[in-house]
Amino acid sequence: MKELQELARTLLSSGTVGVVIGWEEGPRGARPAFITDAADSSRLIFDHRCTHNLATYLSPRRPHMARLGKAAIVVKGCDARAVAGLLRETQVKREDVVIIGVRCGGVAADPAGAKPLTAETVAERCPGCTAREPHLADHVVGEAQPEPPGAPTRDARIAELDAMSAPKRWAFWQAEFARCIRCNACREVCPMCFCERCVGDKTEPQWLESSPHPRGNFAWHVTRALHQAGRCVDCGECQRACPADIPLGLLNRKIAGIVADRFDYRATDDPTVPAPIGAFSMSDRQEFIL
Amino acid sequence: MRAKTITEEELCTFVADLVAAGTRVTAPVRAAEGKVDYRAITRFEEAAIGAELPRRSLKEFFLPPTEPLFSWRQGKGDVTVKPVSVSFPPHVVLGARPCDAAAVEILDRVMGWDYRDELWFGRREATTIVSVACPGIDGSCFCTATGRGPDSTRGSDLMMTPVDGGYFVEAVTPKGEAFVRTHAARFADVADPGTTVAAEAFRARARSRVAENLTLSLPALRSWLGSSFDHELWRTIALRCHGCGACASVCPTCHCFDIVDEPDGVRAGTRRRNWDTCQTARFTVHASGHNPRTDQNARFRQRVMHKFSIYPDRFGEVLCTGCGRCARACPGGMDLPEVLKTIAALAGADGPREAAV
Repeated sequence: MKELQELARTLLSSGTVGVVIGWEEGPRGARPAFITDAADSSRLIFDHRCTHNLATYLSPRRPHMARLGKAAIVVKGCDARAVAGLLRETQVKREDVVIIGVRCGGVAADPAGAKPLTAETVAERCPGCTAREPHLADHVVGEAQPEPPGAPTRDARIAELDAMSAPKRWAFWQAEFARCIRCNACREVCPMCFCERCVGDKTEPQWLESSPHPRGNFAWHVTRALHQAGRCVDCGECQRACPADIPLGLLNRKIAGIVADRFDYRATDDPTVPAPIGAFSMSDRQEFIL
Repeated sequence: MRAKTITEEELCTFVADLVAAGTRVTAPVRAAEGKVDYRAITRFEEAAIGAELPRRSLKEFFLPPTEPLFSWRQGKGDVTVKPVSVSFPPHVVLGARPCDAAAVEILDRVMGWDYRDELWFGRREATTIVSVACPGIDGSCFCTATGRGPDSTRGSDLMMTPVDGGYFVEAVTPKGEAFVRTHAARFADVADPGTTVAAEAFRARARSRVAENLTLSLPALRSWLGSSFDHELWRTIALRCHGCGACASVCPTCHCFDIVDEPDGVRAGTRRRNWDTCQTARFTVHASGHNPRTDQNARFRQRVMHKFSIYPDRFGEVLCTGCGRCARACPGGMDLPEVLKTIAALAGADGPREAAV
């Protein structure tokens, strides 16, 4: 923690950056912090409640962030994949951001929870994580952390869904989407949903109905999931933000599995690896065309 | 009307009989994902009264997230418009939180202001709201600071307070009194004066528990807001806000809606209204592309202004019941009670710039 605070102080007082985006203690647990004064660096924390993927604050559609000047951002290894995504898709220039990697031992599903990190409180994506050591970073702070507690559960849930008959799987998602009220929290917290104008907001023509009825909800969630194919960094923020607790991570994870299978691509913190949506290879499978 | 009591056992048969007679009964219910929602019940045993705060408030039972206003069909040279029904079957909400019940009455002001919203009032008139006094949830509750409280009877037709083996029941409105008279056999007179004392003790404990979280001078707050549109506070207030509007969707008093026309095949369609929120950029974008609310700071300021300055200016009370859902739901850690505390300190330090009204 001291190491992180000292680094932030140096970056701010030397004028290297205008803001350090990290985490602080809030009224309800850990929360994003925006340190612009070196003297406030001691507010920065990092622990298992720092669940938020802060890379979303680098998105160019946040003009009030840009006004704070060049940013330094604290990222866990998994969050670095989102920064890589923004670099890869030319939303952020590498020289415009200082990346501070923190070594992570898993985070809690709920950053407001004061409970210790256990198999019950850990975020779904953490058990079995292979991205805990940040590579895409100008500075790496903290000691190596123990493995996150618990065993991976998501792939088993996806296998359960895959094993269902199509009508049963349809009923499952219909029931989940029925709770959606189209607040768009899933989109707004997503670091990879950076479109200036989302297809979901277009009205001339209106591609997607904005009403939270079964037709509109299904169109929205499936469209968003497809727009995230090979782009989703599996940070789980959409699912955490959802006020209706819809398991959106399952949908994205399922598609990530298909992309891995067909294009041998997995979310990575290496911005030089092209995303399949922006790359063409002669070895791409195309049997579906014929 | 004198206070009554009702036992848990009586509530079980009462709910079953109400449902059998065609009344829709809504109560807090634990959903499959483990969270509590207000939902239709057929048996009292399904209700999770006294569990945590439901994820969303009661407003959706009067202003649904989406609802048709009318549909139309284009014929040869004419258009047929089919209105929606504005009459609703009898509905009882059992186990409403006082913060949620109060919100519905606060919204009656705007829903009946320049135009009487038939859908809102149709549902209002069909519904009897039976609240249960709340013990207070957690550190994000601030109902007492908004002029209400965990035992506030605002918006409730009946108020029940948990006592040993059942509830202490008071009718609040003529509708509540009529409800007790109609179902007189369900209720008993208060036999033991200790019951009244126990009910009041429960409520007093809850009030003092919540009051510890936040106290506010609403007139000072309103006065400061009225003259501080350009205050530097707003320049960085919402850095962590994603503009997602989760706060508005769980808020019992946020009531903005959008109106859309959706086609039902060719030459036919439905006009619907859907929940909307000032927290999104799209809310104020003009046809020209210009957006007068340039960033999230301006949008969050609007949320605070509407609730604590604009609404009280027009309707005489704040548009917030202090339920704390916005703080609990926010994925970015925005915290309205914290913001109000900051403004209260500024208002105190600067002194009201205009006479408090």
